[in-house]
Amino acid sequence: MLQKENEISVLIENSRLLSPNGMNEFIRKLSAYYEVYAPIKGEKLVVFEKVENPQDIAWDYETTQISPKKFLHKPFEILFSFEDGGKIINENKDVVEKSQILLGLHPCDVRAIEILDKVFTKRYEDPYYMKRRKNSIIIALTCSDAHEACYCTSFGTGPRIDSGFDLLITTLGGNYLVEIGSARGREILSRYADALSTDSSILMEYHRLKNAKLEIIENKISSKMDTEDIAELLEQNINHPLWENLKEECLACGSCTIVCPTCYCFTIIDKVDLTLKSGERQRVWDSCMLLEFAEVALGVNFRSERAARIKQRVYHKLYSFEHQYYIRGCVGCGRCIRFCLKKIDPRKIIAELRGEPIEQ
Amino acid sequence: MKKPTVGIFKFTSDAGCQLQILNLEKELLELLKLIDIAYFPMASRNYGKGPFDIGFVEGAVTSTEEIIKIKEIREQCRILVALGSCACYGGIASIKNHKPQRELEERVYTDLTAVHSTKAYGIDQYVKVDAYVKGCPIDKNEFVEVVKSTLMEIKPNLRPHSVCVECKLREYPCIFLTEGKVCMGPVTSAGCGALCPSKHRACEGCRGPASDPNTSSLARTMMEYGLTPEEVRLKFIKYAGETQAFKEGAGVR
Repeated sequence: MLQKENEISVLIENSRLLSPNGMNEFIRKLSAYYEVYAPIKGEKLVVFEKVENPQDIAWDYETTQISPKKFLHKPFEILFSFEDGGKIINENKDVVEKSQILLGLHPCDVRAIEILDKVFTKRYEDPYYMKRRKNSIIIALTCSDAHEACYCTSFGTGPRIDSGFDLLITTLGGNYLVEIGSARGREILSRYADALSTDSSILMEYHRLKNAKLEIIENKISSKMDTEDIAELLEQNINHPLWENLKEECLACGSCTIVCPTCYCFTIIDKVDLTLKSGERQRVWDSCMLLEFAEVALGVNFRSERAARIKQRVYHKLYSFEHQYYIRGCVGCGRCIRFCLKKIDPRKIIAELRGEPIEQ
Repeated sequence: MKKPTVGIFKFTSDAGCQLQILNLEKELLELLKLIDIAYFPMASRNYGKGPFDIGFVEGAVTSTEEIIKIKEIREQCRILVALGSCACYGGIASIKNHKPQRELEERVYTDLTAVHSTKAYGIDQYVKVDAYVKGCPIDKNEFVEVVKSTLMEIKPNLRPHSVCVECKLREYPCIFLTEGKVCMGPVTSAGCGALCPSKHRACEGCRGPASDPNTSSLARTMMEYGLTPEEVRLKFIKYAGETQAFKEGAGVR
C-alpha cells in the first residue's frame, strides 16, 4: 500500500509526530480558542466532556455510553422562545457561537457523523444541527484496542479511516502520530503544535507501527456481521419467527437507540410557562423503540406491537436507511450490544436470519 | 373570568405528594394566579365546598369509608387526577394485599373492633380517573404540567417510557450493567429524571409500569443476577403490585 513514491511523500507531508508534552501543550492552546471536548475518565464510565486538563483525556478508552453526536444533535435543546401572539424570540439561543473541537472520536463515531450529515441535510438543512456542524473541528483517534462488541470491519467504518476528520491521532509508543485530513486541520496543527519530528524516516517508522497496531485490532474483531445482500435477506424475513422470539426478550427500554451514534429521532415539545401564553419550543431525543413514538391523534399507534418496533430498528439501520440516504445506518460501534441488559446483538439477529448456528 | 377551583384530597398515604405541591416555592404564587385552591386541608383551614374544576387525590383507598368518600369526590370534580403512586396503583400500602387481612391487622392493632380495612387499591378501582401523576412522591414539575395542560385542555406532556431513557440521556452509568445492582428502571415509568440511579441507587419502581413494560423478561434477568424468585416478587409488589404488568413480573418463577 505504501509503495508508490508520491503516496509516501503525501503521507509524510501530512504527518507530524508529537511528544506527550507537545500534545498536552497543543490541546491547551486549542482550549484557549475553542471549546474542546474529549473522552474523559469518569468514576464508572468514560464520557465525552469539556477538557479542563489535557491530562484527563482517556486516550486508550474503549467506548462511551453516549456518542459524541450529542455535541451536534443535542439530547435536549431549546429551539426558540415564543411570546403571546406567536412572536418568536431568541431563536437558536442554545446554539454555541464559539467553534468546538471534538477530539478523540474513534473511526466509527466519525463515520456516524458523516451519516448524520446526510440525515440533517437531505431535504433541507437542519439549522440547529448545521450551525454546530460547521463550527466543529473533528480530531479523530485511532482505537487502541477492539472490544468483543466491536464490528466496524463489517461496515468498513473502522478501525482504518482516511477521511471525515480534520486531524487523526494515533498513540504509538508514548508519542502521538498526527495526520492531517483537511486544510482546517493543517492550519490548527501548524499554528498551535510544535512537532517533535517531521523527519521522513522516523515518520515512516511510526506509520509502520500504526499499521501493525491496526492489523492487531482488525484481527481481534472476529465476530462480524455478514452484510452481503443484507437488503434481500431482510426483505425475505419480515415474518421470520425470530422477531416474535425477540419480543419476549427485549425490554423495549429504548437504551439501544439512545446510545446509538446514528439514531437521530427527536420529539418537539411546546413548553408553555405559567402565563399559558408564552414559552419555549424544545427538542428532545426520542426513540422508535418506545410505545408512544408512533402514536398519533386519538391514540392510534402504528407500531403498538413490540416486535414491530424491534423490526423497525433493525430494518431502518440495515435496510431502509440505504434507500433514504444512500448509506447504511450502522457503523458497528457495538454500543447497542454493550448497553443492552439483555445483550440483544444485531450480529446474531442477522446470523440467525441467515440460518447460521448461533454461538451463545 | 373566575379562576378554576381546585380541591386536594388525602386518602391513605403519608402526605408526601401534597407536600411536593407546597414545595413548589418558586411557582406556587404564579400558579395561584391561574387556579383557586379551594380545598387543601394540609395548607389551609378554610375548607371550601365543591364542586371543583379539578380534584387531586392523594393516597390509596383502603376502607369502606374511603370507597364512599372517593365516589363523592368524583361527583364533585369535573376532572379527577390521581396524585402519586398510592392513588395511581395502591402504592406502598398495597403490599398488604398479598397477606391475609386479619393477620396484618393483628400485627398492627391490639383492638380490632374498629378496624374495617379493605384491600389497598388505586382510586381507579372505584372511580373514573382522568389523569395520573405518578411517583412516590410525585415530581412537582409534573404536577405543574398537569395543571397547565388541564387549563389549556390539552394532553399533558408526560413521557411514560422506561427510566433507562432518562438515565442514558443524562449519561448516568447503568448501575445494573456496571455494578450488578438489580434495577427496576427498564420497566418503570420515567418522569423522575432517573433520580435514584443518579445517586447510584437502583430504581425501586415507585412510578409503576412504563409503557409496554416487559416485566417477565426483566424478572428472568434479575434471577440471572442472583435474586431468588421471592426477592423478585418483592421488588414487583412494592409500589404497583396490583397492576397487570408488575403482577406478571412478580409471578415469574
